[in-house]
Amino acid sequence: MSTNAKFGGASVPASRLVSSLAPPGEISSTDIDRSCCIPLLALFGGAALWLVVGSVLALIASIKFHAPDFLANCACLTYGRLQPVADDALLYGFCLPAGLGVALWLLARLSGTPLRGAIVPIVAANLWHLGVFVGLAGILIGDSSGFAWLEFPRGGSVPIFFAYLLLALWSIMIFAGRRGRTLYPSQWFLVAALFWFPWIYSSANLFLLTSPVRGVAQAVIGWWFANNLLVVWTGLVGLGAAFYFLPKITGRPLQSHYLALFAFWTFILFATWCGIPPGAPVPAWMPTLSAVAAAWLLVPWLAVFLVVWQTVHGSVRSSWNNTTFCFVGSGIDAFLLSGLMLMAMACPQISRFTNFTWFGSAETQLRLYGFFAMTMFGAVYYILPRAVGLEFPFPKLARVHFWLSLAGIALLVVPLAIGGIVQGWKLQHPDTVAFADTTKAMLPFLRVSTTGLLLMLLGNLLFFANVMGLTLRWKIALLKQFIAFVKSPLETTSASASLRRDKEVRA
Amino acid sequence: MSDETKSSIPPTSDTEPSVSRSTVPVWIIVLTLVLLFLGMVYFDHHSGWFDSQVYGPYASSEELELYQPKSGAAALLARGKAHYDQVCGLCHGIDGLGKPGQAPPLAGSEWVNTKGFERLTHIPLAGVSGQLSVKGQTWGLAMPAMGAAMSDEDLAAVLTYIRSSWGNKDGPVTADEVKAARSALGAHPLPMSGNQMSKMPE
Amino acid sequence: MKNGFLVFLVSLVVLGGSWCGFVLAPVLQLGGQKQTTILNSSDLYPVGRPGMANQGLQVYRANGCAACHTEQVQQDGVACDVVLTSAGKTPLAVTNAISSLKLTGLDKGTADAAVDKINAAGGKAEIHITATGPDISRGWGLRHSVAEDFLYDDPVQLGSVRIGPDLADVGTRRPDANWQLLHLYAPQSVVNGSAMPPFRYLFRVQKIGGEPSPDALNLPKAFTPPAGYEVVPTAQAEELAAYLLSLQADVPLHDAPFTQPLAVSKP
Repeated sequence: MSTNAKFGGASVPASRLVSSLAPPGEISSTDIDRSCCIPLLALFGGAALWLVVGSVLALIASIKFHAPDFLANCACLTYGRLQPVADDALLYGFCLPAGLGVALWLLARLSGTPLRGAIVPIVAANLWHLGVFVGLAGILIGDSSGFAWLEFPRGGSVPIFFAYLLLALWSIMIFAGRRGRTLYPSQWFLVAALFWFPWIYSSANLFLLTSPVRGVAQAVIGWWFANNLLVVWTGLVGLGAAFYFLPKITGRPLQSHYLALFAFWTFILFATWCGIPPGAPVPAWMPTLSAVAAAWLLVPWLAVFLVVWQTVHGSVRSSWNNTTFCFVGSGIDAFLLSGLMLMAMACPQISRFTNFTWFGSAETQLRLYGFFAMTMFGAVYYILPRAVGLEFPFPKLARVHFWLSLAGIALLVVPLAIGGIVQGWKLQHPDTVAFADTTKAMLPFLRVSTTGLLLMLLGNLLFFANVMGLTLRWKIALLKQFIAFVKSPLETTSASASLRRDKEVRA
Repeated sequence: MSDETKSSIPPTSDTEPSVSRSTVPVWIIVLTLVLLFLGMVYFDHHSGWFDSQVYGPYASSEELELYQPKSGAAALLARGKAHYDQVCGLCHGIDGLGKPGQAPPLAGSEWVNTKGFERLTHIPLAGVSGQLSVKGQTWGLAMPAMGAAMSDEDLAAVLTYIRSSWGNKDGPVTADEVKAARSALGAHPLPMSGNQMSKMPE
Repeated sequence: MKNGFLVFLVSLVVLGGSWCGFVLAPVLQLGGQKQTTILNSSDLYPVGRPGMANQGLQVYRANGCAACHTEQVQQDGVACDVVLTSAGKTPLAVTNAISSLKLTGLDKGTADAAVDKINAAGGKAEIHITATGPDISRGWGLRHSVAEDFLYDDPVQLGSVRIGPDLADVGTRRPDANWQLLHLYAPQSVVNGSAMPPFRYLFRVQKIGGEPSPDALNLPKAFTPPAGYEVVPTAQAEELAAYLLSLQADVPLHDAPFTQPLAVSKP
């Protein structure tokens, strides 16, 4: 296939690869897609790499439960450093940049305006990945801040913060320059998400690391931050993506504008107050507020359920062939399930059995990977070929990735959840169960969850292969375009006929 | 629908999804209001209303006050003994028998075995100087105000301990009484003389 | 919503609300906290950790100990026990009164009624307050953790999972620095079947000089180094052990009351 035909049937000059300069009033969605090409490659490519890194480290950390001596001699690989690094690689290395890329593309598409000045998002993406690298390395050498989900030392958190600001600014500029006046629901979710992170990240870093507050107030701020990032931010971006892709792929309208609006308002209003665990060593009003907010989360939960159900039911079977639909659909299921787990953990009668157990980890992993990462996979599989203008090198592997990830997350979360409850029950019965037995009782469950992590790693490797393969294909196509561009003026001069022959031999 | 990853690149403009305008079902609004109400009731019962002292199992500051342990006699004596041994016993003896040339005995002392305790509380708070008769013997030493640095509770515990040990069988001294004596004496009381002490009411 | 600005405004108000509730309010309420006094005493609590223990906190943070251990004791409730202090002049009547009463695990109202009954029979009784809950029964602490316990910690390492036991009161439970060092070097040697990884990199295996070092660990047979070598803790291990020993939260406070056992008041 000649290079020209790959770009939608029309012959396209080389400049089109980099930015879109369509005349006003004639912007097609392809132009919008292509305008995002390099920033998305930068964001998604790095994200795929961190995803694999995080999966490998999570697997190693999990193996340490079955063999505590495994890699125990190196300070960098001790469990206490490895587990936070694996978690942060998933969150800051994969989830955040993938989410930002999807938000950028979605806002461009829904605004009907292409991305201009792509150099800034490209620089921001690279700055982000550099920040993640420095942050993760910092944790491994012992510079962790000590706060869950905020472990990056300043060398990592500062680049990340500024990279986010740049990407958010560019996305908001696209949104502000939109053509239509009415907003599609996804736009509310994404604009709110773009605003959310800088405030919570700067507050957390300021009050915990730059000029730390005294005593247990640190823990409260840490919990507030983690909740607003892991529940609210991922919920906003994930739902924004789902509310776009589900109606788009099924061809049905989103049901409905007002229900989605209701879901949006109630979700941010209630979810932002969750996070303080029950029984925390803080005055009682704080965990009580969080418990009440978690109970009130039932309302947005039901609203999201209704929106998705009404939009999608009846079309599931026909859309099942579409891999993006599978990813996003299972992501929504995981969102709903993890929401139920979150609400259960806040219930006083249940929290006594889930507090301080693996149940909380199960809920977090289900939310981060089962909901958010899966939704991002579906989105990337949809967006990236359109942005680049080329097919994935191994399109069938996307389906295999889906089944591996689905099986993996199920095998990870279900034993951790059940095992967590068993652990909680044992912790509640000090007269009959010695503490050492609670650890021993968890090992069979952990064996299954380690297998789940292995399957997830395999799936992530397939994703990485596809994304990297596409990047490589793009680079090769770019190179070929460049060579063709260099060749074309010489074709008209007869004096360079011999030169041409030489060039053809070399190419 | 064919698998989108197998399909060729889509046409140059595909339509964005549309959104319907049907209304929010009423039952979800009603549920929201019911949950809001129940949540506020739960908050009222469990939050302690933003009191910084109310934690976890306690539901209100009233409940917290209810469960404050009153210093029981046994605990008071234990505390009194500990402080006495450290501060007073060096001179008056761990056994309360005093040390000649250092301090008079407390066991069976008429200054200790009194019905009232106003005078007794003044002794550690102000100190003593000059001649004093204890159990028929004359002592001419100076006692610094050893109890001035102690808190009201601790001094009360010490005095209670003295009054119930080594054969003494007198009633306890409370922290309030120590407080009253402290405020009666003022900030820097002068040590009392034997005469002053005999003139004071018990 | 048609207006992008409205989305921003709504987000601002909502996030501002939770920021005020969970960032500003805790800073105002807890951030300026000062020492408090131990219940029924004038002793201040907490006293700051000694220097080595503070450095140990940084070792704890750097090695991610909070990934497996929590430092917060939970309390499910509170109970009263009625304790007879004097049988008075009529011990028979008092014994009769007691035989019909339940004396442990009561709520305040029932306990007061029991005391009244004993007083009426001529005896004297007092009420002892105890904290109840699985953590307390396990010996992990005498009362729930409160903000004062973490007053001087930076960063506060509360933890969130109990893969290992709670450490809020471990200094009272295991006051022996040698045990702590042994446990860090070879957890399986002191706790059977422990899942804790060995922190051998916090120690040095060195050739025995003229005399064995006084700091050398006394390891069981399976874990001893080869002949002629000894295991010596590095500064980091000693700091971490000092920190663990400083983790004590066993005094009653106004917001975590209980009747202190009569063992003795602190010297």
